[in-house]
Amino acid sequence: MRSPPTPEMATQEVPLNETLAHLKTESETLKSKLEEERAKLHDVELHQVAEKVEGLGQFVMKTRRTLKGHGNKVLCMDWCKDKRRIVSSSQDGKVIVWDAFTTNKEHAVTMPCTWVMACAYAPSGCAVACGGLDNKCSVYPLSLDKNENLAAKKKSVAMHTNYLSACSFTNSDMQILTSSGDGTCALWDVESGQLLQSFHGHAADVLCLDLAPSETGNTFVSGGCDKKANVWDMRSGQCIQSFETHESDINSVRYYPSGDAFASGSDDATCRLYDLRADREVAIYSKDSIIFGVSSVDFSLSGRLLFGGYNDYTINVWDVLKGTRVSILFGHENRVSTLRVSPDGTAFCTGSWDHTLRIWA
Amino acid sequence: MLFLSLLYVAVFVARMKGDTPVNSTMSVGQARKLVEQLKIEASFCRIKVSKAAADLMAYCDAHACDDPLITPVPTSENPFREKKFFCALL
Repeated sequence: MRSPPTPEMATQEVPLNETLAHLKTESETLKSKLEEERAKLHDVELHQVAEKVEGLGQFVMKTRRTLKGHGNKVLCMDWCKDKRRIVSSSQDGKVIVWDAFTTNKEHAVTMPCTWVMACAYAPSGCAVACGGLDNKCSVYPLSLDKNENLAAKKKSVAMHTNYLSACSFTNSDMQILTSSGDGTCALWDVESGQLLQSFHGHAADVLCLDLAPSETGNTFVSGGCDKKANVWDMRSGQCIQSFETHESDINSVRYYPSGDAFASGSDDATCRLYDLRADREVAIYSKDSIIFGVSSVDFSLSGRLLFGGYNDYTINVWDVLKGTRVSILFGHENRVSTLRVSPDGTAFCTGSWDHTLRIWA
Repeated sequence: MLFLSLLYVAVFVARMKGDTPVNSTMSVGQARKLVEQLKIEASFCRIKVSKAAADLMAYCDAHACDDPLITPVPTSENPFREKKFFCALL
């Protein structure tokens, strides 16, 4: 990993101060100009335009499956593309692959560290990636032989200088994108473990990331403890857009299915929608009665619904266009820490500090 | 003793917040990078919110019928809502 840039040594006192002051003024001017440009195009609110849209009918979703087996808080989960398998990771150091239809456990791996904060399923369904307090992201090929020791085939791919907060395969099993408490994101080649690109720009821990839907190209969004959501060009490593409207850590980011927008969930108890082409926040999903942080967000297939998992043990379902809450779901007995909609949109899965995962449909 | 523990807490908090120092101690190199970054962001081609909102609505509308949570599918087609229990026949 590249270390943060070292401060340039001052050779002369007076000119250095002048340059720094000049640059600070220039950055303030540019920031005001950015705000001005964004404001000029702010001609209407999303929920106003959406007034003419038909309201959603009654929304009924229940827990259909409960996956029990983790010995401690569930921290992360991901769906396999086959729409039935799920990988989950926990504070107890275990990574489990489940068949969500039958609730059977298909594989289990014990990591050498506790707090496995990130896990992801490979697009082929043949491997899973995970990591956490070990500062690494490791890939485990999934064997058809249930008796085979998965840990033996483990491949260490990513190395950060602080905890791994999130990981995701790109369009193939060959590359992994990671985010870390060290403030950076990175793109790795799985086979060689080589660092392909690193992304610097966050001023604090990066907590989450999401890749743009494949049709829209090579970008991804990340959210961090610096309250910023950054959009990155994967090829150049450049931060192309940055949004700072949340009032606290951003725990989760997820692209809108068209790729033209993304949602974020934060410790400030709100979810927000940012449109990438308008380059601004276009909606806030909040209520006075909701005071606990959002840990995880995801969209339904059409993008009309936004599901948020909250630290008050509930799931709030929002009408993305109208900005109103459609439903509130109860069931977990502790914080909801992770939430993902299934690939075919028929259900969503939540993981919680109550040690269980639930499938809702 | 109290001073030392307060100092320790302050350092801990500063470390937790990441490596970039606050504005007042930013180096020339970092300030220059920030200006470059802001120039890139300022040159971005934006569209009006009304246009962006219309496009988001159009997408939702076009895909509503494919979204099982908006346009309900028959229970028999949703594997999680089915009442059938799976048994392995050995």
